[in-house]
Amino acid sequence: MRTLLRRRRQQLPDGCREGSVGRVMAVTRGWGRLQQILAAGEGSSAVLWRRGYSSQQEQVSCNVDLPVEMENPYKEPPKRCVLCGINVDYKNVQLLSQFISPYTGRIYGRHITGLCAKKQKEISKAIKRAHVIGFMPVAYKDPIFLNDPKICDIRHPE
Amino acid sequence: MPRYELALILKAMQRPEVAATLKRTVEALMERGAVVRNLENLGERSLPYRIYKHNHDHKKGGYFLVDFDGPPAIVSTMMDHLGRDIDVIRSTILKHPVSKTVACSGIIPVNYEDKLYTKKK
Repeated sequence: MRTLLRRRRQQLPDGCREGSVGRVMAVTRGWGRLQQILAAGEGSSAVLWRRGYSSQQEQVSCNVDLPVEMENPYKEPPKRCVLCGINVDYKNVQLLSQFISPYTGRIYGRHITGLCAKKQKEISKAIKRAHVIGFMPVAYKDPIFLNDPKICDIRHPE
Repeated sequence: MPRYELALILKAMQRPEVAATLKRTVEALMERGAVVRNLENLGERSLPYRIYKHNHDHKKGGYFLVDFDGPPAIVSTMMDHLGRDIDVIRSTILKHPVSKTVACSGIIPVNYEDKLYTKKK
């Protein structure tokens, strides 16, 4: 048995021991196999259950065509909401009026405005503040702002 | 000393009376140890809703903004003082909203997988 193994090892090229352990395992069985592996393994770790796989270090050194680890070069920039980077103020009644219903004056939800969590909260707080301080009407939208560009994704029934 | 903003709504009056009211207000602020930075006039507009104050139904008012630095104890005393002034319809003292132009990096995608399982601390 051992003479057979020695011959097979000699046939392999220097430096690359790919498949050597696999061949060892294929030939021997049981306790004999364990001994072979422990004797043979210099860079192979936890090979006992890796049938037919040699150590990773050996593979990388042999094969230069393998993918190199890097950050995704095609990564898209993070999505931005309409108000990303814009300062929200309770005095800016025109901006706040774009996020309320013209008929009832109710604040639109996030599924309608399409804002991120932070900005939605800021807008909501600013609108309620403007109501209390006496800058913005509560039950309707100021008629001056009715023809403003529509940001919110809502269709009112005719 | 923290920076405050006083949003003031005055009764719709003639110019000299408005000037007198503002002067009174600013003097009251300075008496209580505040340093007034800026006084802005946001114009005379019709109020968003009718405000009933001091036995009057107000529909129009002059909007003013007073920027000042003062001790925190000034807030309650000033609100008390402005409440007693007949020419003031509504007044609010807020912390000055320093423009937070924090570089918004966009919407960070939420990792729902992590949120599904409770983390063992």
